[in-house]
Amino acid sequence: MPLIRRDSPGASPPRPEGDTIAQLSDANPDTRWKAARVLGKHADAVPALATALQVETSSQVREAIFTSLLLIRSDASARAAAEFVRSEDAALRSGALDALAAMPEVVERILPGLLQDPDSDVRILSCDLARTMPGEVATRLLSGLLQAEAEPNVCGAAVEVLAEVGTAEAIAPLRACKARFPGEAFLGFAIDDAIERAGAGRLDMNG
Amino acid sequence: MGDREPPSISEDEFARLCDFFYRRTGMIFTEAKRYYIERRVFERMLVTGSATFAQYFARVRMDLDREIEEIVNALTVNETYFYREDHQFHCLTTDLLRLRVAQKAPGETIRIWSVPCSTGEESYSIAMWLLENWPEVDKHDIEILGSDIDTRALAAAREGVYGARALSRLTPDLIERYFEKVGEETWQAAQELRESVAFSPVNLIVNAETRAQGVFDVIFCRNVLIYFNDESRRVAAENLFESLKPGGFICLGHTESMSRISPLFEVRRYADAIVYQKPLEARRG
Repeated sequence: MPLIRRDSPGASPPRPEGDTIAQLSDANPDTRWKAARVLGKHADAVPALATALQVETSSQVREAIFTSLLLIRSDASARAAAEFVRSEDAALRSGALDALAAMPEVVERILPGLLQDPDSDVRILSCDLARTMPGEVATRLLSGLLQAEAEPNVCGAAVEVLAEVGTAEAIAPLRACKARFPGEAFLGFAIDDAIERAGAGRLDMNG
Repeated sequence: MGDREPPSISEDEFARLCDFFYRRTGMIFTEAKRYYIERRVFERMLVTGSATFAQYFARVRMDLDREIEEIVNALTVNETYFYREDHQFHCLTTDLLRLRVAQKAPGETIRIWSVPCSTGEESYSIAMWLLENWPEVDKHDIEILGSDIDTRALAAAREGVYGARALSRLTPDLIERYFEKVGEETWQAAQELRESVAFSPVNLIVNAETRAQGVFDVIFCRNVLIYFNDESRRVAAENLFESLKPGGFICLGHTESMSRISPLFEVRRYADAIVYQKPLEARRG
């Protein structure tokens, strides 16, 4: 039989971490990848990871940096990732949103700020981050946005999320939003759908 | 509640449930599966004491008491058996090994990893499949490693004793040649087959443990990533990426999609299967 068996070696010893931050700017992407992964265990590495992300050209290393920001899972790491939601680079925006969506309990604290960002594209993308949050939290955050948001497209993004995860408490803010945009037929239609779903959820939840 | 009829799930609720499972696991359920899904959901509602579908769905969304894992278990077939999803083994011998051999130095060992291997059915299946279906099998050194976090499963894998259900997809001829009957309804993998596969404990989300296994040409990692949360899935995907040689391939379960987990890999479509490949060179963003 040509198949050979080689028993697995034992686990390797921990890697030295002295110059790991410096390795984030190494010319070799494999070295940067490994450094980025190691730094996911170090909360104080957030600034270095964020700086590296601004200049990193390898999509693989970028992914490892976002994962490390996720593993650090702090307000600082979430804010660092959130900075890339406004990037011109679609891959960076997408990487940031994926990382943020995986830490909803942290993002809950920074989302109010993102939902008031001066850039409407950031507000639109940020609405989707509420999708992974508990229904009552998503409802609270997005209802607040619906009350004052001037951009119908941002409201539309919030309505889409509320249609999926919103609770009955979203109904009044949804109605108020519809009244503020009488000329936006699509938004009105989306709001009617979301109200119907939120209403059905309330009845079911009350048994 | 035990005497209750299964509740009817509205079209909208069914759509929300399907949307959720698609985003969370990549599994696609259509209307044709509705009765099956409703039954499984109702069973879980009984177990969790959920009075309504909405209550139960809220529980799933919050993953209370690992309910996502429970409902995924209920909706998927967890039983493992020899030659399961053998279209990927077809792909292995038709395309993947040919491509890997073309990249390798003469005499370089081909390494294949079955993780998680559970009680060894997949690992031994790979060995048998290669011996039966790859004409080049005698020209190469091939190393097969099965790994799992569950050391009891690994002990069973090393022992290699299986019931009739596990062998149900094997022809009598294969059973005759690769197994010995050791009981009324039990067979043990022949010593030569057992000696062709190594087993090791590994936790897919612990980098030191995956790194210790070395790098592989092909990894079979089927039906496990769907059980991980987002964070663990990303870490596991990065560990698997490190565990592949450049140009190496990873095969996931048929309901899983690496594209939904990580952008690290490239999708490759072959006649028998869709697999994922580690790029030969680092990609620029």
